Amino acid sequence: MTNFIDFLLGGFSSGAVIALMALALVMVWRSTRMVNFAQVGQAMFTTYIALTVQQSTGNWLLALAVAMVAGLILGIVVFFLVIRPVKNSDTTGAIIATFGVLIALQAGAGMIWGGDPEGFIPPVSNAGLEFAGRIWPVSLYDILVWVVTAALVIGLTLLFTKTSLGLSMRASAFNPEVARLSGVRVNRMLITGWAIAGATGAVGGVLIAPVSTISPNSFDILLVFAFTAAVIGGLDSLIGAVTFGIGTGLVISLVSGYTDASNAPVVALALLALNLLLKPDGVFSHHGSRSV
Amino acid sequence: MSLLTDVKNMSNAQKLRTFPGNRIVWHAVIVGVVWLLLLLLNNNIDPLYSSYLALVAMYATAMFGMTILVGLSGQVSLGNGALMAVGGYVFALTSMNWQTVPIFGWEWNAVWSMVFAGLGGILIGGIVGGLAARLKGPYLAGLTLGLAVGVPAITNRFPELLGGENGLMLTVPYPAGGYAASEIAAGTESGAETSDPNSDAGSDTGAAAGEDQYAELDLSEFDQGVDASSDPNATLATEDLLTEGDLLTLDDFSNGGDLGLESADPAVEPSVDPSVDAGLDPGLNPSGITDSFDTGFIIERWQASMAIAVARLVAFAALNLIRGRQGRVWKAVRDDPIAAAVVGISPSGSKVSAFVVSSLFAALAGAVFAQILSFVGPGAFGLGLSLSLLVGIVLGGRSSLLGAILGALIIVWLPELVNGLSGERGWPDQITNNAPNLLYGLLVVAVVLAAPGGITGTVRSWIDRSRGKSRSPLS
Repeated sequence: MTNFIDFLLGGFSSGAVIALMALALVMVWRSTRMVNFAQVGQAMFTTYIALTVQQSTGNWLLALAVAMVAGLILGIVVFFLVIRPVKNSDTTGAIIATFGVLIALQAGAGMIWGGDPEGFIPPVSNAGLEFAGRIWPVSLYDILVWVVTAALVIGLTLLFTKTSLGLSMRASAFNPEVARLSGVRVNRMLITGWAIAGATGAVGGVLIAPVSTISPNSFDILLVFAFTAAVIGGLDSLIGAVTFGIGTGLVISLVSGYTDASNAPVVALALLALNLLLKPDGVFSHHGSRSV
Repeated sequence: MSLLTDVKNMSNAQKLRTFPGNRIVWHAVIVGVVWLLLLLLNNNIDPLYSSYLALVAMYATAMFGMTILVGLSGQVSLGNGALMAVGGYVFALTSMNWQTVPIFGWEWNAVWSMVFAGLGGILIGGIVGGLAARLKGPYLAGLTLGLAVGVPAITNRFPELLGGENGLMLTVPYPAGGYAASEIAAGTESGAETSDPNSDAGSDTGAAAGEDQYAELDLSEFDQGVDASSDPNATLATEDLLTEGDLLTLDDFSNGGDLGLESADPAVEPSVDPSVDAGLDPGLNPSGITDSFDTGFIIERWQASMAIAVARLVAFAALNLIRGRQGRVWKAVRDDPIAAAVVGISPSGSKVSAFVVSSLFAALAGAVFAQILSFVGPGAFGLGLSLSLLVGIVLGGRSSLLGAILGALIIVWLPELVNGLSGERGWPDQITNNAPNLLYGLLVVAVVLAAPGGITGTVRSWIDRSRGKSRSPLS
C-alpha cells in the first residue's frame, strides 16, 4: 500500500508536464483543427534555449521566462511559415508538414547543441522530502512543478473565461464564420492560439528537463503521452487535457513502478487504442454530429 | 429497336474493355524488364554501389506500401517502421529457431521465413488497420506514432526471446559456399590468393582474419582496409564499413545522441560466425539468381539481388492493385468516403485493406532489412525509420510507385551526399550527422507547401499542362 501511494505521488509531476503538453495540443486543435506533431519539438528547442540561458546566468526564473517567450515566437513562426500556407483541403499534407517541422527542429537542435543528453540543474532540491519519519517520493522541485502548472492552468482558465480575448478565441474555435461576422479577427485568434500553445509547451519542457535529461529526441515519448491524454480528453477540451494528462502521468508512474519503465509506451498505446475503440470522440467531448 | 442497338453497343463496349489478363501480362513485362536491367546493373557495378542498391530496393519495397496507404488511401501512418520490425523479428526468430515448417514438417529455408514474416505483417496490420479504419487524419497518425514508439519498446519486455536493447544476430541464409566463398573471392580478386576456391584451409584462415578485423572495428581502419588492395579481406571490410554506415544514418535519424552508444553494438553484431554461414543448406537462396555468379560470391551483390527480387514481387502486386479495381476503390474512399459508401464501397473495408497490404509490404521489407544487416534490434526499427519512410514517399511523390522508388533513392543517397561533402569541407560531426535530417525536414515542408505531388506528381502536372490538360497533383 505504501508502494502504491509512493508511485501515485511520484506520478503527479510527470502528469503535470504531460497535462501542459496536452493543453498545448488542445489549444492548437481548437484554433486550427490540426494536431501539431511538432509541439514537443518546439518545446525541446525552447528548453535547449532555456538551458543555455541557465548555464550562462544561473537564473532559473529568467530561463523559464526566456523559454516562454521563445515558445511564443516559435509557435507564431511555425504558424506563419508552415501552417497557414498549407491548403485547407490537404489534411494529409498538414499532418506531414508538422512532422517535417519536428524532424527539422530535432536536427537543428542536434546541430546547435549536439546529440548528447544534457542535464538541467533544478532551481530547488530534487531529493525526496522527509516528513513524519520517512522519505516521500516528493521533492521541493516536484512541488515547484505543481505550483507552476497550477498557476498556468488557472491563468489560462481565467484568460478563456473572464477576458474578451478569451471569449473571441472561444468564438473563433466554436464557429469561425459567425465569429468573423461578429467582428472577431479570427486569423489573429488562430495566431494567438498557436502562440499560447507554444509558450505552454515551453513551460512543460523546462519543467520536465531536470527530472529527465534533455536531448533532441528525449521528448518523443512525451508526444505519445500528451497525444494520448489530449485524445482521451476529447482534443477539444482544456479541462479534459489537464485531467487526463495528470491521469496518464499517474498510470505511467504506477506501471513503471510495479513493472518496468519500458512498459510505459506500450501502456500508453493500449490506453489510446482502447479509448479510440470505445469512445473515439473523447470523454469530455460534447458534439455528436459528423461532417459530411 | 434503338433500345436493342443500345444494349448491343453496350455489350460491345463492355467486351472492348481491356481483358484484365492483358494488364497483368503488361505489368509482368514492365517489372520483368526493370528487374533484368537492375540485375545487369548489380553485376557490373562496384560492390559498394550494390549495397546501396540493396538498401534502395529494401526502402522501395516498404514505400510501395506507403504509396498505397498514404497516397491512395489517404491514411498518414507512422507505423510502417514498426511493421518492418515485425517482419524483421519474425524472420530472425523463425530462421533461428525452426528447422522444419510446423505441422507440415517440410525442411525450413529462407523463403519460409519470408512467408511467415509476411503473415506476421498481415496479422498485425489487420489488427492495427481494424483500429485505424475507425479513425481519421490526426488520430490515425497519433495512434501509429504510438506504435512506432511502442513496438521497439516491446523488445525490452522480452529480453530472452527478442534480445532486448541489443537485438538479435541472425544467420543470414547465404547461398552455397556463402561466406567462405566471399573470403576466397576477395582473395582471388585482389590477386593475393590464388588457391583452389574449395580449399577448406583457405576459407578458414580467411574467416579467422576476418574475425580479427571485426574485433578492431574502427572507421579509420576501414578506409585503409578498402584502399589496400593487397588485403585479402578487402571486400569484407567494405561490407562492414557499409553496414556500420547504414546503422549510423538510421540511428542518427531516430535517436540522435540517445542511441549513439547502442549504434556501436549493431556495428559489432554483423560479425556472424563465418563458419556457421558456410555450412548452410544450399537451397536457402530466396532469389534463386545468384547461382550465376557463385564463382565469385560477393555479399553485397547477393544482398542487392535478394532485395531486388523481393521488391520485384511487391512492385508487381502493387502495380496490379493500384491500376486495378482496388486502386480506384482506395482513391474513391480517400476523395469522398460518403460518396463511395453511396455507390456500395465500404469505406472502412477499403481502409483496412490498404493497411493490410502496406503492412505485408512493410513486413517483407523488414525481413529483407534483417538479412542486409544480419541483425534486428529496436534501434534499427525506431521512430526514425518510420519517419524516413514518410519523408521518402512525400518527396518522391505520394501516389505513384515511381515516386516510392525515387523516395527510396533520396533516402539512401542524401546522407551519402552529405557525408561526401562533409569529408571535403571538413564539417564537424555534429553538423554532418544532423544535416540530412535538417534537409529532410525542410524539404518535406517545402514539398507539402509548394508541390504536394512530390517529384512525380509535379513532373506529371507539368506534362499535363503542356498538353493542355489539368489534373490534381495528388490523383
